[in-house]
Amino acid sequence: MIDPSWIAGLGVILFGIGLIGAFSRKNAIVVLMCIEVMLNGANLNFVAGTMYWGGPDGWVFTTIAIAITAAEVAIGLAIFLSLYSTQETISLDEANILRN
Amino acid sequence: MSENKSEAGLLVYILPFLAIVPLMHYQGWESSDSAILIVAVPFVTFPVILVAGQLYNGHETWKNKLKEGGILALGALGTSLSAAVWIIYDYFDALPDFGDQHSISQWLEWVSFDLLQSDYTLTAETNILGVGVWVDSVTLMLLFVATFLCFLICWFSLGYMNTDPINDDRNHRFYGEFVLFALGMFGMVLADNFLWLFIFWEIMGLCSYLLIGFYYWKESAAYAAKKAFLTTRVGDVFLMVGLFMLYDIYGSLEFSVIFHDPSLHGTVDSAELFWALLMMFIGAVGKSAQFPLHVWLPDAMEGPTPVSALIHAATMVNAGLYLVARMVPFVDVGHHGVPGLEDLGLIVAYVGGITAFMAAAIAFVQNDIKKVLAYSTMSQLAYIFTGLGSALWFYNHDEHHAAVVVFGASMFHLFNHAMAKGMLFMASGSVIHEVHHAHDHLHHGNGNHEHFDPQDMRNMGGLASKMPITATAMMVGSMSIIGIPLIGGFWSKEGIIAETWLAALDHEPLMIGPAILVILTAGMTGFYMSRMWFMTFAGEPKSDVVDHVHEATPWIKEPLIILTVISALGGIAFALLGATDYLSSSYGDSGHLKLHESTFIDSVIYQLEHAFLPENQNLRLVGWVTILLSFIIGPIFAARIHGGSLAEGESATSAVSWLVGISGKFGSQDVSSLSESDLAEALEKRLYFDDLYEGLLAKTVLPMAAFAAWFDRTVIDGVIKQIESNSVSGSLQIRTITTGSARDYILMAAVGMLSIIALIWGISA
Repeated sequence: MIDPSWIAGLGVILFGIGLIGAFSRKNAIVVLMCIEVMLNGANLNFVAGTMYWGGPDGWVFTTIAIAITAAEVAIGLAIFLSLYSTQETISLDEANILRN
Repeated sequence: MSENKSEAGLLVYILPFLAIVPLMHYQGWESSDSAILIVAVPFVTFPVILVAGQLYNGHETWKNKLKEGGILALGALGTSLSAAVWIIYDYFDALPDFGDQHSISQWLEWVSFDLLQSDYTLTAETNILGVGVWVDSVTLMLLFVATFLCFLICWFSLGYMNTDPINDDRNHRFYGEFVLFALGMFGMVLADNFLWLFIFWEIMGLCSYLLIGFYYWKESAAYAAKKAFLTTRVGDVFLMVGLFMLYDIYGSLEFSVIFHDPSLHGTVDSAELFWALLMMFIGAVGKSAQFPLHVWLPDAMEGPTPVSALIHAATMVNAGLYLVARMVPFVDVGHHGVPGLEDLGLIVAYVGGITAFMAAAIAFVQNDIKKVLAYSTMSQLAYIFTGLGSALWFYNHDEHHAAVVVFGASMFHLFNHAMAKGMLFMASGSVIHEVHHAHDHLHHGNGNHEHFDPQDMRNMGGLASKMPITATAMMVGSMSIIGIPLIGGFWSKEGIIAETWLAALDHEPLMIGPAILVILTAGMTGFYMSRMWFMTFAGEPKSDVVDHVHEATPWIKEPLIILTVISALGGIAFALLGATDYLSSSYGDSGHLKLHESTFIDSVIYQLEHAFLPENQNLRLVGWVTILLSFIIGPIFAARIHGGSLAEGESATSAVSWLVGISGKFGSQDVSSLSESDLAEALEKRLYFDDLYEGLLAKTVLPMAAFAAWFDRTVIDGVIKQIESNSVSGSLQIRTITTGSARDYILMAAVGMLSIIALIWGISA
């Protein structure tokens, strides 16, 4: 059995990588991927927690979170498609028309 | 004729309204429960008229069938009238059951609250402000006067307002406010406590402002409305203070508590009560346009004539009198009243006497037919105040018989005056309306409309042959106001004058002031009312307009005819029925409306003896002097100056032709030298009261207002503007960090999240 703290540590690392990626990259698809990485880091945290304390809660949460993430990715991609069709770019630096 | 027929057909629309009360009767309601209808039906109708008017203005049905709301208003007032008649009928029917001569029904507890005492604990018992109805003889009389006159004046308005193109698409505002005003009067009369009396009192104040300013685009009308509102407001503030003091003394404002709890009266400090009642009296002075708050009433004639009839003769000005009439239980020492308040009676009587004399003097020189009536209203109300003042004085000295007589006479005069003056205003409205139409007809397109005043009596003269009904009505009304023996106001005015003299001669020498003033005023009333009639109806026409005047407008005649009969015969009828005794029965005496003697003839003889040959020698003298002044001297002088027979070939109906004929018999007198004297000019300028008040206001209030405006503009506005500009510049600075780039926001969110975690960590560690 792996010690849950390793799993939690992996979760933190994944979260950090995702976070750095999310605010350093311009391409929206890459940012979306980074967000998925962050979510997976969080999921790993649930897994670690439920291993440590026992009980099924963490598994359930993780399953639901994965399902929601799948839906979220679909929505995100749809947003980028419509962004591309109106702005002809998916660079996040240029998608700032809501500012004014 | 066909037009008149179709007009009468409109009355079908008010039948549903009139059906309400009989329906309730069959449903087994009590009449006292139906009292709520008197207020509630107009209250529902008022927004309906206003909203429907906004929606359907210019619509065919709305304009011609519903008279822009007039028919709805008439229906609502008809419901009130029928409910009032029902209550009156029931009251007489059940009279022996009312031990205390009044009936109360409490509907609901409106507000209940606890009081914080000085040691910061709440009082043990909860205070309750209720809503209910108080019905006694004074209520019944005023309720009848108000509902009946409101109904007739609304009827009259259908003819007066809806035939004038200037009012088109505006009448819904008139009728809406009319109905609201009427419910204010009904509610005030019915209220069973001083708080609700005050609330309805204020509704009337508001509506008088709105109605006087009906032609708000005319500068004079807007000014008059403002003046009326502000002047009565001065009185209202005093009334409010008076009510606070009253609450402080009695711990309640309910009539049933204040009037009927003897234990309360024993502990009352008469000085404090005196000030409370005086404050309330100042409120009454403002509402009833008495000296020194009288300046608003003449200007209020800027409103449409039905408004003058409604507010300034029939209802609102009576509110002040009603309030003073409600003061009787405080001073009635025979029935748990507080002794030592006789000064109040003196003050009331003096204010009344001074106003009566002053207003009559100013009425001498007015040429505007409505202004004459306005000053006449002031003068007659002042009579009633004088009577009430004497009544208060008598009650406070336990002179019960005299007090009852003069109180009843005052209330009776209120009835006679309201009926006669309501009619006089409507008759003057009829004159103005027809003269105006005749002028329009004559000078159509001539462009000199601006220089013609249809209210100026100098443009009239000789109208007796053109307007027979109006001339008769105005003659009877004027006679009632003058107090021509046997007609209308004679029966009540005589009582007021006689009892005031009785107080002066037998009891209180200070009363001699009001006593002299009212008896002089009786003669002056004879002069100015006759002058008005002669200038309008007798003599040769003074302008070419007169030839084209016809009495043609529908809806106008009927109220005049009804009120002529009441003005002429109501006085003697109610005098025979013992109205004066009955009207005083509110305060502990039993009184019934019935013949004094067993047969009709005996009653007539008794009343005549009573009026013309009282046992007291002094009163006999006073009575005959009054008759001499008002019946002989005043009218004859008026006839000498303004009277004269009609032009060649004109003939009036027999009802008025004798008067025109007589007026020509006294020769004529040239008074141009008198009319150019200083006194005449002073009277013309209304004894400079308006100038004085305006000067005073310019010295006191205006600098204060200017300072307040400066303070508002620089200090308050300055602070707010500073805050505003700072927040604008601040937000502009904050705006620069919002780059619009999603990555920056993610970074900020992450940094914020980390900071929060660090913070929690730091706290928990």
